[in-house]
Amino acid sequence: MSVFQIIATLFALFMMYTVKLFSAKKALGAVETSFWISIWAFFIFLTLFPDVLRGISQSLHFARVFDLLLVAALMLLSVIVFVNYLRHKMLERKIEELVRKISIDLKDIRK
Amino acid sequence: MDKELYWLIIPAYNESAYLAKVLKKVKKKWPHFVVVDDGSRDETLKIAKRYTPHALTHAVNLGKGAAMKTGSEYAFRKLGAKGVIFFDADDQHDAELIAQFAEELKKHPVVLGVRSFDNQMPLMRIMMNRLGSVLIMILFGGYVPDIPCGFKALSKSAYKKINWKSTDYMVEMEIAARVAQYDLEYSEIAIPTVYHDLDRGMTILDTIHIIPQCIAWRFQS
Repeated sequence: MSVFQIIATLFALFMMYTVKLFSAKKALGAVETSFWISIWAFFIFLTLFPDVLRGISQSLHFARVFDLLLVAALMLLSVIVFVNYLRHKMLERKIEELVRKISIDLKDIRK
Repeated sequence: MDKELYWLIIPAYNESAYLAKVLKKVKKKWPHFVVVDDGSRDETLKIAKRYTPHALTHAVNLGKGAAMKTGSEYAFRKLGAKGVIFFDADDQHDAELIAQFAEELKKHPVVLGVRSFDNQMPLMRIMMNRLGSVLIMILFGGYVPDIPCGFKALSKSAYKKINWKSTDYMVEMEIAARVAQYDLEYSEIAIPTVYHDLDRGMTILDTIHIIPQCIAWRFQS
């Protein structure tokens, strides 16, 4: 086992612990917890047995399995960033509408 | 003139230093005004309530654009206003001119306060001010003078048409962009240049944000 594999495995274990922690605080539901635990378990599996991806990386013409993982990770990160951006914008708009509505409605109640 | 049809909107954020002085002057000249406290941490709301029954407050700070919108919605929906006049809370504007804005608003959907670029205005501000107008002209095909000036007035129809989305200081730029984009007829009123507090208003970061935002507005209507 290489040093990189050890670091990657420890990182995934830490992330699993983080998921459990947030699950205990009820910030994540049962389905979400299972989803994220599965993701990190799969990550550990790939770290320990990278050869299982060799076939896929060859068929997609990647020189190394690492390149395939890097591209997949970047794609995943792009999706997450975009979804977060949209949610952030929607949330901002909802907060603005709520604060402005409360401001005007509160004035009516005080009358 | 039906004064009660034209309401003055004063957005205020942490303005306890100037607000009482401003409201005292405003009340003498134009008794129909709404103060929107934008989540201030100081005595802004308390001071506003001493001068008007129309003091609104945001539970959290949203920005100048949101405060202007809250004040306008309140004036149009609850007070039956025909037009709104925006007036900064930091004692930059002359209350004597409010009546002139209301008078012009009867004839034009948009009235813009335009400051003279004399030595009262710092050189950097003059350059940014001019650049803003040029940018609007290039992107939207219409020249709008003194965009950052907070003393302006909109009729109800112009307000509905402009329908700005900016919640922060970018609102002045968005109003100018929409005025040029929809070719709204405007009238200009020369107002004196007064600067009390140079670190207030738009920051360098806001200015960097302006160009991509203007391009985005160009393709949204």
